[in-house]
Amino acid sequence: MSSFAALERQLRPIYDSLDTGSNKSAVVACNKLLKKHPGNELVKALKALALVRLQKVEESLVLCDEVLASKPTDDAVLTAMMHVLRGLGRNIDTVTMFEEAFKQQPSNEELGAQTFFANVRAGHWKSAQQIATRMHKQFHEDRYLYWSVISTVLQANDTTTPSSMKNLLYKLAHRLITSGKAPSYVHTDRFHLHLSILRELELYDEARVLLDHDVGKSICAANLACDELRRDITKLQNRQKQEGEFAESKIVEKGDRNWLEFLSFLDAVFILDTEPDQSSEAFKTACLDRMEHARQVLEKVSEKDGKKDRSGPLALLELEKRARSCDIKQDDERLLTLLKSYFEQFGDKACCYEDLQPYVVLDGDDLSSWTSFLESVPSSITTTNELQRRINVHKLLRCNLTASQLTLEAETTRASLYFTEYLQTLPLGANLPNTELQPADDLAILAGCAYVNLWTISKEEKYLYIAASLLEYGLLKSNASFLMRLMLVRIYRLLGAPTLALEHYRAIQTKQVQHDTLSHFILSRASTFSLAATGDLTFATECLETSQIYLSNSQETADFVVRAFTGEKYSQIPEFITFEDHLDNSLQRDIIKMEHVRMRFTHEVVNSDIMDLELIELKFIFDRNHHDNRDFQILPDYQPRIIPNFNDQTMLFGRGEGHGWLMTLLRMYIRALQQSSDLDDTVEEKLLIGDRPKLAADSGNKAPLRDRLRERPQEDLAELTPDEVALLDFTTGLADWLGCHHDYIRPPPSVVLAEAAKQSELKTGHPLKGVEILPTPPNGSPNGHHKKDEEAPAITEPPEIVVNFFNTMKARFDEAQQSSVVDALHVATLIQEAFIFLVIETLRFKSASVIKIYKLNSLVQSFKAIKTNAVEILKDISVSLGKQSDRESTAEARKVFTESCSPIVTPEVTHEFVLNVAKKVGDARKKVLEGVGKGMTRVCSNHSQ
Amino acid sequence: MSVLRPFRATDMFKFNNVNLDVWTETYGISFYLSYLSRWPDLCCVQQAPSGRMMGYILGKAEGSGAEWHGHVTALTVAPEYRRLSLARKMMDLLEFVSDEIYRGFFVDLYVRCANYVAIDMYEKLGYSVYRRVREYYGSLGVGKGGRDEEDAFGPDMRKPLSRDPGRRSVRPNGRDIIVSAHDVP
Ligand SMILES: CC(C)(COP(=O)(O)OP(=O)(O)OC[C@H]1O[C@@H](n2cnc3c(N)ncnc32)[C@H](O)[C@@H]1OP(=O)(O)O)[C@@H](O)C(=O)NCCC(=O)NCCS
Repeated sequence: MSSFAALERQLRPIYDSLDTGSNKSAVVACNKLLKKHPGNELVKALKALALVRLQKVEESLVLCDEVLASKPTDDAVLTAMMHVLRGLGRNIDTVTMFEEAFKQQPSNEELGAQTFFANVRAGHWKSAQQIATRMHKQFHEDRYLYWSVISTVLQANDTTTPSSMKNLLYKLAHRLITSGKAPSYVHTDRFHLHLSILRELELYDEARVLLDHDVGKSICAANLACDELRRDITKLQNRQKQEGEFAESKIVEKGDRNWLEFLSFLDAVFILDTEPDQSSEAFKTACLDRMEHARQVLEKVSEKDGKKDRSGPLALLELEKRARSCDIKQDDERLLTLLKSYFEQFGDKACCYEDLQPYVVLDGDDLSSWTSFLESVPSSITTTNELQRRINVHKLLRCNLTASQLTLEAETTRASLYFTEYLQTLPLGANLPNTELQPADDLAILAGCAYVNLWTISKEEKYLYIAASLLEYGLLKSNASFLMRLMLVRIYRLLGAPTLALEHYRAIQTKQVQHDTLSHFILSRASTFSLAATGDLTFATECLETSQIYLSNSQETADFVVRAFTGEKYSQIPEFITFEDHLDNSLQRDIIKMEHVRMRFTHEVVNSDIMDLELIELKFIFDRNHHDNRDFQILPDYQPRIIPNFNDQTMLFGRGEGHGWLMTLLRMYIRALQQSSDLDDTVEEKLLIGDRPKLAADSGNKAPLRDRLRERPQEDLAELTPDEVALLDFTTGLADWLGCHHDYIRPPPSVVLAEAAKQSELKTGHPLKGVEILPTPPNGSPNGHHKKDEEAPAITEPPEIVVNFFNTMKARFDEAQQSSVVDALHVATLIQEAFIFLVIETLRFKSASVIKIYKLNSLVQSFKAIKTNAVEILKDISVSLGKQSDRESTAEARKVFTESCSPIVTPEVTHEFVLNVAKKVGDARKKVLEGVGKGMTRVCSNHSQ
Repeated sequence: MSVLRPFRATDMFKFNNVNLDVWTETYGISFYLSYLSRWPDLCCVQQAPSGRMMGYILGKAEGSGAEWHGHVTALTVAPEYRRLSLARKMMDLLEFVSDEIYRGFFVDLYVRCANYVAIDMYEKLGYSVYRRVREYYGSLGVGKGGRDEEDAFGPDMRKPLSRDPGRRSVRPNGRDIIVSAHDVP
């Protein structure tokens, strides 16, 4: 038996341990093997992998670098190392490793492909292209040519590529693709790629040749993605007329009911063909003729399809709408006639309301005629179809309500009408299994919308009580209604009952990528409700769990890009990359991160380790190009057109946070953390493991970070509440005041690095790579403090804004406490956050030796006074919150709640039911008020020694 | 009336109104990407003119020899857009592509036994039960719909395509044939 086979046998348990996550036993097994085979690359690589997974980064790095230095070519070693480097975030090193291996074995096709993929994963499109070209020359496979083509396209589209290069790269891609032996249409996705290049280069005639070819035609007929490109190119080529005829034949002869065909058909009606412009008489006459024809075609389609398909009738409406917008004189009555007949025909379909929305933006006589038509629809309801029709009547009437119809009285009458009809019609769905939605659900949702609007009009919380109780009842009857749950999430947050909101949010069972799109419902400004300071990490944990999806994305998505290459599905590659990018640079991701940092600082000791870590992460985020994937569309929108929709009405504090809010908070935190940290850019560069984020091509023009942190664009501030602006002013004043002292006292980079190297060596037994330890400068003091040659900055009085903040905000708190629970929590938690900023900014000046060396006594006196005052105020607020919390779960509070709900208390929605909701709301409020209050005293005692 | 277009990776950001339904599962990123990276032409979306997603279908082509066929992995329509023939049209497309492009012999799918609406629909569309699979969804325990799936005999349904004019891929007594999940590829 060869020693190789023996080794093989001994390796198997290591792989098994790694597969089952027993990383510790993998390390033990590796150590044993390394004693016998000290130089074995594979064992070293596997040990490095186990170490990374155990988070022992420093130890793993040492092994990793040893293996890399040996320039491995063995498949197993390369694979293991690929995982190690991925774990360390060092994609670039993976690229180098494969490139080295391929260089040593240039005829190894598999290594070539691996090297190509390593570049793909790292987004190095240019090198990927070069490798693919080389592989094409060497191995004569067509697909390598296409790999090089799409790599060129991806390079052109990459944000790191200057826009001036884009066209050039597309031209290169074009040259490459036309150099292939086989035509692109032998393969659907090659054909797709070819067309997309021609579209970008505006080579429409060349595209035409491909599209008119028989094979091209049959590809487009069976492939939606290619057909999409075909449609696009045809439009760009100004061939609306031909496209319209083509669409007509598909609609009439093939029975195609894709709405895109109808749009193409309608586009052709209103084209400027031979006529000079849209206002000319000639244009109008030609249009009238074409409209007549179109109408005939569509009427025939409508007749033929009957109730089976809505395309014909809707296309007729669209035709009418477009004619009106071109001001082409026609029968005034036609639009209304079409609307009415559409409603007659499809009024019992749930989508009728959405279908008609674009066409019912009416006024004057049209509106009154439409309204009286809807009002004349019989209101007796005995079947589900009649019920759906009734719901559509309500929605359609509601969306056109005018200001004078939206008084408190009128809206109250409407709300109770929806509610009464809801109760009346519920029995229609009594026999459905509980997994089905109830046909009457939308009436409850409409009532919920109306009550929320009443709250908006009156600012009286009692309307939210009603909305909450009524939707809770709706859920009792229709447990699967996620819309009611989402509405309740919003309402409970407004009511300051976060745990109830969380319960409903969890019941929706958001999973996977939904964490990105839906978590805003529960995590937006969640630090307001966080009880982390008392040790209750519910929301902090929710932040971490939600963020798992971003890890999955960075671990999994690139694999599928690679698979799409292997399977030659070129149409998917740019889509996957966009998806990866949108998730990686998701706005919600970093909003969650920000909220988590805010929570973290309330329950962890603020020390330099945490601060350095967060500083680095927040700086990464600061340079990202964010994408907003949050789904707000999911909420029902049945509010009248002239008022804000339900989503806007129910945003916490009336302000949705977006990019501007995130950037503002980042500026506040980065600036404070940077001032108090010893890490400057040069130090960070040396100590950081893993790849840096790619920088967009225009990022070179940006102002230095220091300056960008001081910006306060008006549009950003618009996303902040006035109280958040107050916090911003406070932190700015504080940073301006203390900045010069931080800069003066912060040790020079060489000293910081030397210290880091010392720590690392203590931990791993190896010196830190790339860091030279300079001799201590002559004026250095033994405890690491270095007096600079320049003069110390003068100590100044603290700015007014800093001194007065806590007293001013205390007054704000007293006021907010009168208005609502959430307002009180908002102001209270912001005051606490200001205190934490004070702690962060003054940490450096704590040690007695620093105070002595730099003569900081008077500075310390100033901020101590501010801190003492802050602590006193926080303690006061804590007491107030405690008192408020006691009031929440009393019989009296419940009575106020149930009495408010009297409009909906009925034999169905009983007093007991409402009382139970009242109790839950009261308990939830009590819990959060008490918790935030207690948390404050903890924060004070933790941070004020 | 709806736009029929390819399913794209970024549709994962938009499918909430469809996926929050009890019968529809939201899978991990790799699930969707594995379909798109192999059978993009068997995955499509129905979209309202407003841009809202109405429903989607995800499918694949698999099997060897006379078992080579198209498979429906997920078909779903948001509640407010049901009974508008959207499912029918997406099935039409999947059958067309399975037939014309992949040259499969049949199309098949599995349904949960409690999903009566879906079973009825597939029967109307020409599918028949080929066999019933014991505990196909068993690993899920109690289904998301809150039903106890313990004695589930989810039907495996098939419809022959033009390449199988003799209808060899289906059988009349399929309902009586029960297999365990292990015997199904
Ligand atoms: C099953 C489902 C996809 C049907 O979608 P759909 O777009 O409403 O179906 P269609 O309108 O195309 O219906 C086609 C035919 O199926 C039958 N059908 C569909 N839904 C039905 C229902 N609720 N009751 C009775 N028959 C029904 C009808 O015969 C219908 O034709 P018709 O309307 O001309 O009578 C949809 O209900 C759904 O998404 N359910 C949840 C997810 C699911 O169960 N997927 C299937 C898992 S494999």
